[in-house]
Amino acid sequence: MNRDPAIRRKTSISYKTEEKTVLRGYNLSELAEEGYSFCDAIFLLFQNRIPTENEEKMLNYEMGVFTEHSMSPSAVGAIGVATGRPNLPAAVAASIMTFGGVHGPGAAHGYMMNKYLERARNEGKSIDEMAKTLVDDYLDNGTPVMGMGQPQHIDSDPRAEPIHLKQEELEVHGVYLEFQRAVEKYFHARRKADGKSYVGVNVVGAGNTALMDLGFAPNAAWCIGSVCRGFSCSAHALFNMKRGRAWGASRAEQMVQMLDLSMIKYVGPEDRKVPKQAERKEYAERQLQEGEYKKWVI
Amino acid sequence: MGDLNNKTGIGNLDDPRLPYDYASREYGTVPLDTSRREPFQWVSEVAYKNVHRIVARGYDTTELMEEGYGVVDLLFVDFQSRIPLEEETKMLNYVMILALEDGLSMPAAISRLVAQSKTFLTQACGASILAFGHAYGAYSSFGNRLLTYMKRGRDQGMSEAEIARQIVEENLHDESLGVSALMLKDPAAKRMFARAEALGVAGEYVSLMKEVVIAAQNKGTSSVDLDMLGAIGATMMDLGFTPEATWAILAVTRSFAAGAHFIEEVEREDYVRTGQHLTPKEDYDGPEDRPVPSLAQRKTDVKAAQTTNLSDWKEEFERRKQISGSGFAIVEEIEDPSEKTGIKRVGR
Repeated sequence: MNRDPAIRRKTSISYKTEEKTVLRGYNLSELAEEGYSFCDAIFLLFQNRIPTENEEKMLNYEMGVFTEHSMSPSAVGAIGVATGRPNLPAAVAASIMTFGGVHGPGAAHGYMMNKYLERARNEGKSIDEMAKTLVDDYLDNGTPVMGMGQPQHIDSDPRAEPIHLKQEELEVHGVYLEFQRAVEKYFHARRKADGKSYVGVNVVGAGNTALMDLGFAPNAAWCIGSVCRGFSCSAHALFNMKRGRAWGASRAEQMVQMLDLSMIKYVGPEDRKVPKQAERKEYAERQLQEGEYKKWVI
Repeated sequence: MGDLNNKTGIGNLDDPRLPYDYASREYGTVPLDTSRREPFQWVSEVAYKNVHRIVARGYDTTELMEEGYGVVDLLFVDFQSRIPLEEETKMLNYVMILALEDGLSMPAAISRLVAQSKTFLTQACGASILAFGHAYGAYSSFGNRLLTYMKRGRDQGMSEAEIARQIVEENLHDESLGVSALMLKDPAAKRMFARAEALGVAGEYVSLMKEVVIAAQNKGTSSVDLDMLGAIGATMMDLGFTPEATWAILAVTRSFAAGAHFIEEVEREDYVRTGQHLTPKEDYDGPEDRPVPSLAQRKTDVKAAQTTNLSDWKEEFERRKQISGSGFAIVEEIEDPSEKTGIKRVGR
């Protein structure tokens, strides 16, 4: 049996021999038997260190509240893929891949914070002053401030403020929570001054702040958030595979299904006749000249 | 753009052999059915949310965390609709730590390959999960085999040892047996069973797998022992997780490490450009280099694929099996995996 590595790389993360698997220097069996938790191992994986007990508790809390979110793009992605009945991992993979620029953009929030904190240091400004700069920069440009607002939890994300409080309770708050709180303060003030409605902090604003204070880099934090959602999306995909109908289009169900034909609303060009090949040149040239097609180009 | 009610002469669509009049078929979308059926909703027995709460199996998830439960407990809630015993949580933590990292195995390799193309981290993490099939990370195949044989054996009044012998007799060389030569020098798998027993969470699946190991060792000609697939798979099933839930949970667990491999790849290696990688000719064993036939030659020299009798069909089929990459040498049984996945043979 060929036991060569799948690819050759110099790595400081782990090694595996016939005798043991070692993560950042620690034998995994010994780590588990000592009583460390999976969350402890996540610190080791990304930060090469054992966390304090309170840091582990904070990560456990953050991952716990983030894992399940019922119907979000990630769960819907998993369910949608599962309707074709592929192997389950395809649906789980799809759910994690839905995390992009809008759904749980943890890395973007982290990079934003690091960029402005660095600016504060370079420009000799306080964290509070730089928070106002950030809010003004973003809102003056008409750009959403990352970490604020959630399209479903419209007046306050149920996970967000409790995460802030938990950070303080566990005394694992640092420069990132101070900065995030200040961003929220100026964000709320600016919207109020502009006569706009209240928009609360979301779970990225709160959770990613906690992860950054726990020492995770933006991409590591994004990984933690996005991947732990994969757990719950697996459950949603499994529920639909085991209890639901494949395809999601059956007309025999009491409820109209996700892919029932009536779910399709078409807003494209009017129905039209397919041109004969003999007419093609004239037809195609006319379309190009009229240019009406351009409004449909995506 | 033309009279839609006066369409004839479009390809074969006027052919009288068609069982319908294609030209008279309606255009337009299907109206919403508001009379016979309820409107569409996302149906779930796993979780719901409203503006102010996220609720999994009846428990508000923020309240769960405030009460001191954690992400590992939530897996029991989501997949089993129950709060686990502390010992069960400890055991799942143990399993997940052991499953987190596996060196430069397939999930890490896939993640790193995706990373080379300057993508989002989440693409690499998702892609790493696709490594979990019916050979690597084959928790579904493994678990469903145990369930199938255990039920059949009990229905027939067989002992645990007899069931184990039957499993080995019929599956000794399967990649998802859970017993192999992979861990003859690494005690991690057996340590997991010892931990499960010490915590009092080992049950019928751990017990059965111990018998499978004995049966395999008695049957085989070379040394074998419990491997990580067998250890993790049986332990997870004794914790109450289905084979499918186990498959998903362990794939996602590894995906965290795939994220670290993505990051390290970006930190330490270069991105790869389109066309950058070469494939040396010494790795090629296809047809010798040859001139492309002219289009005129195509009319005279090229043979079509169609066969008209079973003898020719079989001969052609066998010939195509020799064409590496054609797919004719692979036989798969692809079926709906809604209830159980992994028990059908796929591949060669």
